[in-house]
Amino acid sequence: MKIIYTDALIVGGGLAGLRSAIAVRDKGLETIVLSMVPVKRSHSAAAQGGMQASLGNATKGEGDNEDVHFADTVKGSDWGCDQEVARMFVTTAPKAIRELASWGVPWTRIKKGDREVIINGQKETITERDEAHGLINARDFGGTKKWRTCYTADATGHTMLYAVANEALKRNIEIRDRKEAISIIHEGDRCLGVVVRDLISGELCAYVAKGTMIATGGYGRIYKQSTNAIICKGIGTAMALQTGIVQLGNMEAVQFHPTPIVPSGILLTEGCRGDGGVLRDKDGYRFMPDYEPEKKELASRDVVSRRMVEHIRKGKGVSSPYGDHLWLDISILGREHIEKNLRDIQDISITFNGIDPADEGSKGWMPVLPMQHYSMGGIRVKPTGESTTMRGLFSAGEAACWDLHGFNRLGGNSVSEAVVAGMIVGEYFADYCKNTHLQSHTETIQNALEGQYEYLKTILTYNGSHNIFAIKEQMRNVMQEKVGIFRNGKDLNEAVVELEILLKQTREITVNDKSMGNNPELNEAYRVPMMLKLALCVAKGALERTESRGAHYREDFPKRDDANWLKRTIATWQNHEDTVPTLSYEEISIDTMELPPAFRGYGRKDALIPHPFTQNRETQIEKLKEQMGDVDRFEIQEALMPFELPNGYKDKNERIGEKNG
Amino acid sequence: MNKAEIYEFLTSRNKQKKKSRTPARLDAIQSATGAILALFIVFHLIFESSILLGKEAMYRLTKFFEADFIFEGGEPLIISALAFVVFVVFVLHALIAMRKFPASYREYRRYQTHRHLLVHNDTNLWFIQITTGFMMFFLGSIHLYTMMMQPSKIGPFASADRIFSDGMWPMYLMLLVSVVLHAGIGVYRLIIKWGVFDGVQPQQNRLLAKKIIKWLIVFYLALGAVSLVTYIKIGYEHQEHYGERYHKGVKE
Amino acid sequence: MGDALNQKENQEQTFRTIEISVFRYNPYSKHSKPRFETYSLSETPSMTLYIALSKIWATMDHHVSFDFVCRAGICGSCAMVINGKPRLACKTRTEEFLDGKITLMPLPTFKHIKDLQVDTGSWMNAMSQKVESWIHTKEKTDISKIEKRVEPDVAQAVFELDRCIECGICLASCSTRIMRESFIGAVGLSRVARFAIDPHDERTDADYYELVGDDDGIFGCMSLMGCEDHCPKELPLQTKIAYMRRKLVSQAIKS
Ligand SMILES: Cc1cc2nc3c(=O)[nH]c(=O)nc-3n(C[C@H](O)[C@H](O)[C@H](O)COP(=O)(O)OP(=O)(O)OC[C@H]3O[C@@H](n4cnc5c(N)ncnc54)[C@H](O)[C@@H]3O)c2cc1C
Ligand code: HEM
Ligand code: SF4
Ligand code: FES
Repeated sequence: MKIIYTDALIVGGGLAGLRSAIAVRDKGLETIVLSMVPVKRSHSAAAQGGMQASLGNATKGEGDNEDVHFADTVKGSDWGCDQEVARMFVTTAPKAIRELASWGVPWTRIKKGDREVIINGQKETITERDEAHGLINARDFGGTKKWRTCYTADATGHTMLYAVANEALKRNIEIRDRKEAISIIHEGDRCLGVVVRDLISGELCAYVAKGTMIATGGYGRIYKQSTNAIICKGIGTAMALQTGIVQLGNMEAVQFHPTPIVPSGILLTEGCRGDGGVLRDKDGYRFMPDYEPEKKELASRDVVSRRMVEHIRKGKGVSSPYGDHLWLDISILGREHIEKNLRDIQDISITFNGIDPADEGSKGWMPVLPMQHYSMGGIRVKPTGESTTMRGLFSAGEAACWDLHGFNRLGGNSVSEAVVAGMIVGEYFADYCKNTHLQSHTETIQNALEGQYEYLKTILTYNGSHNIFAIKEQMRNVMQEKVGIFRNGKDLNEAVVELEILLKQTREITVNDKSMGNNPELNEAYRVPMMLKLALCVAKGALERTESRGAHYREDFPKRDDANWLKRTIATWQNHEDTVPTLSYEEISIDTMELPPAFRGYGRKDALIPHPFTQNRETQIEKLKEQMGDVDRFEIQEALMPFELPNGYKDKNERIGEKNG
Repeated sequence: MNKAEIYEFLTSRNKQKKKSRTPARLDAIQSATGAILALFIVFHLIFESSILLGKEAMYRLTKFFEADFIFEGGEPLIISALAFVVFVVFVLHALIAMRKFPASYREYRRYQTHRHLLVHNDTNLWFIQITTGFMMFFLGSIHLYTMMMQPSKIGPFASADRIFSDGMWPMYLMLLVSVVLHAGIGVYRLIIKWGVFDGVQPQQNRLLAKKIIKWLIVFYLALGAVSLVTYIKIGYEHQEHYGERYHKGVKE
Repeated sequence: MGDALNQKENQEQTFRTIEISVFRYNPYSKHSKPRFETYSLSETPSMTLYIALSKIWATMDHHVSFDFVCRAGICGSCAMVINGKPRLACKTRTEEFLDGKITLMPLPTFKHIKDLQVDTGSWMNAMSQKVESWIHTKEKTDISKIEKRVEPDVAQAVFELDRCIECGICLASCSTRIMRESFIGAVGLSRVARFAIDPHDERTDADYYELVGDDDGIFGCMSLMGCEDHCPKELPLQTKIAYMRRKLVSQAIKS
């Protein structure tokens, strides 16, 4: 069993991991990226819709800036996010997209002059400004005030990932794929690296580095129905949890996407609705305006998903062998538009369902149903990206709870987060690696390696009656049915109990193939217990959180309860033998908020229990603004909530038609 | 030995540390010679079919090529020279195109297995192309050699005698099939290779090109076959008089 | 996995049985011998090979290895030879095969890992490095300033080529590549074209000649069109390879 040393180790080769690797490499550090699959196959490639950045190029994005993006993000998060992080993010996002443009991402560009678009199902003509010609275009996405979501037709994540991966190749960053990290090596609260299993040979190997970053993406596959790729099992997050030290944040915050296609679960991008697609029920009736008169189909994802399920519960769903569903209609956009801008959608629909969405009338309607989509929770980190409790362990992207998204993330904010976090956290991570010396911990490392080897050997010796595949299916069913879009105490209680039983059963299985090599049965045998631990964090967190916030919706506690629940759930796995996580809470302080809690502008208006300090902070802010008098928005912002950024990322972003940059 | 060659041999780069431009030229020459040969064949087969209009027509055409409007009675050396030029182009083309043949049994086997799995028209066409190309090494050489050495023996009877009495018709039949298929497929390949008719709808245009070529192949095969049969018939009827030449106004 | 499809089984409807033969071999194991294993299973509506293989794996044979990531036809992981044709398995519906018999083989010309798994990743990375698949420019971009303008149509044309998912199908359907494993194939050639039309890239034709101006590159292509006819992303490979050929030949003639 080999030990490999490097300066910086990055586990995960999606947008977040690769962009971080570039940041580290550019500081002259030796960098290794490990990935379960060839990096260009990472799940980031699946993002179709777009990336949010307040460029304000498009007519409909005119007047957009960091402040507007910030407000949208905070509201979207249902005030669960870390506002400082949100500020760091919105300030860097325009730079991220411009950097990507210079790396060759073929962003869809603006053509000056008139253009026909469909807004709220109505044809409308908008005129793009002459001075915007050739600049990056943007489309409308749920939960945003301005058209801010930049895109490359409907393969945004793909083109971004390829550009970033190619830049990594250019810098000779060592990329090793088909390597799965399965455990973190640490000495007390200091991270030394990871134990890695080669998925071709089955060989175990220790990767030891000055700093380790986990950018392994989300854990959607703990649900039965998910839009996520099948590698999104959260192994990276789970191995952090298993240290007993690392904290996971807000694991119960799981987003459901309104429009995956039934039954395959493949996502039909929000861009469909952004471009003017509408939802219809079994009578062909467009029902969203009844629920959300202002934002209609484009309210934030949690709201649309719930409204859809609500509508189905009223008996308005279309029945099918796969359960009830609704329709997504984009045929009204016209064949030309679809074939140019939503081609992948058309492709998906034809390939997987045999429906051409460009066909006029009900023939082209696609069956859709909300499914698990995004994991807001993850490894809890500070704004620098370092774990709150383990030194030398960083995390970025969907795997992290940097806490940009709080309880609901906006469409287009997560590829954006992945890249922006790669830039910012990557920078802090590089600094950490530069200033750290690799001491000799050979014994710890050897022990960790042998420990994992023994563990896998033990799995092969299990002799029980359960089947790991069946356990996995049951877990996914429990999550789907009891920890889904609508949650309640009774179901959640049951879910926790059932998941605990399943977790115990993972040690009562038999693995038929005793090979330590390329053995897909063994893979499941060590992955499923890890997935179950994450599932337990989600279920337990959801059970304890007796309020509704963002994507977390409790039927028995339908109000957002700022008075008691303006806090982050923290989960740790204290002892190896535990069958439930230990929960604690981290207060979110109103005193330092730039935007104090309020109504989001969509969803139910009355569903809010305010925090007593909210009023205070509001007055404080009013006063401060008054005192400062006639100064620009940057000064006000700085006074309200100062924040820092490395590497010139705080420079003012230039926009056309904006004076002071 | 030339130093520059040694350097290139050792570094795969030329003096300026640049890649050799020869592959580009070879590629262009391969296509150019192929195109020239194809063009030649297009006319050649038409001229040859003049026999369908009667011996007189064929005779006149032959004499025309011997430039009887300048030289009294025609000058067969012109044909020799023409055949020589074609032969040079032919050899050049064959030499360059040979690079593309499967270079070992392993390559050949891999190609064959792959082709049978894939069942893909254009890939199969290539098999026809290399097979016919290979055949023409011999058939084409024989024919061109004859034309160079015995240019005077072209004419309604001389040709017919060669084809029938000299037992050359099987060779001509094979040559006909090879050359038409090879040239047809070759031209189709040229069109896509250089993007000649890409236009705005390259996929449709490719299909169209393929269709047109297919019909041209059928046409030329038919034309060639009918001509060949005609020669055979003449040769059969003329076998008693083997060796006699056709003259203007000879009685049938 | 089977997602909602599994539910369908409990219904009375009867589905036909399909037979899937899978190539099995583990080159890393001394005991393994190449063979085909045949599985019979009942077909569900809209069943894709992803669903079928997952079902085989979960319920019939836990040891068969294959690769799927996105199961949506966008990541390029699942390319394999399906009844002779290289295709994306996740985008292939079983109902398409009227006799209900499907034979699956790993993608040829890539390093075989096990059963249906091949190592496309390493090859693709090496290819990207060989053709220097990134923007070359001397310009230093200030990322807080307004981005460089690009004509919308040009951006669209670059995007057309940027859609490649490195699935390797173009190589597996190319007889040239099958014979000569040093040939870079349509994926490499179209990648060069992608940068050649990108206004951000300052490389000249002479630079591109250095990357693919040989018989392993553009002059190795024999226009067999296997790539064009099998590329699951329908990239304009035919026209873009021709484009590069014209460019590089005229570069060579001029120089
Ligand atoms: C269908 C779909 C569409 C989406 N569309 C959008 C959109 O339009 N806009 C938007 O902003 N967001 C979108 N998202 C969300 C967004 O794509 C992801 O949140 C984001 O790409 C995550 O990037 P990442 O780098 O954190 O992780 P990923 O891209 O998921 O990368 C994870 C990496 O970690 C590796 N890995 C995982 N586990 C291990 C391990 N144990 N050992 C080693 N390596 C490991 C994987 O191989 C992979 O390389 C979409 C998501 C889905 C599911
Ligand atoms: C000894 C005889 C010949 C041999 C061995 C031969 C061989 C070949 C081969 C192998 C190719 C394919 C090259 C490639 O795919 O890039 C080819 C192409 C071609 N051949 Fe021939 N050929 C011969 C004679 C002829 C003749 C007589 C003609 C004309 C009638 C001809 C016309 C063509 C054309 C037009 C092409 C396409 C050129 C290209 O693809 O660049 N060839 N030949
Ligand atoms: S060019 Fe097409 S076939 Fe080739 S790797 Fe790219 S997507 Fe696959
Ligand atoms: S699994 Fe991603 S393309 Fe098939």
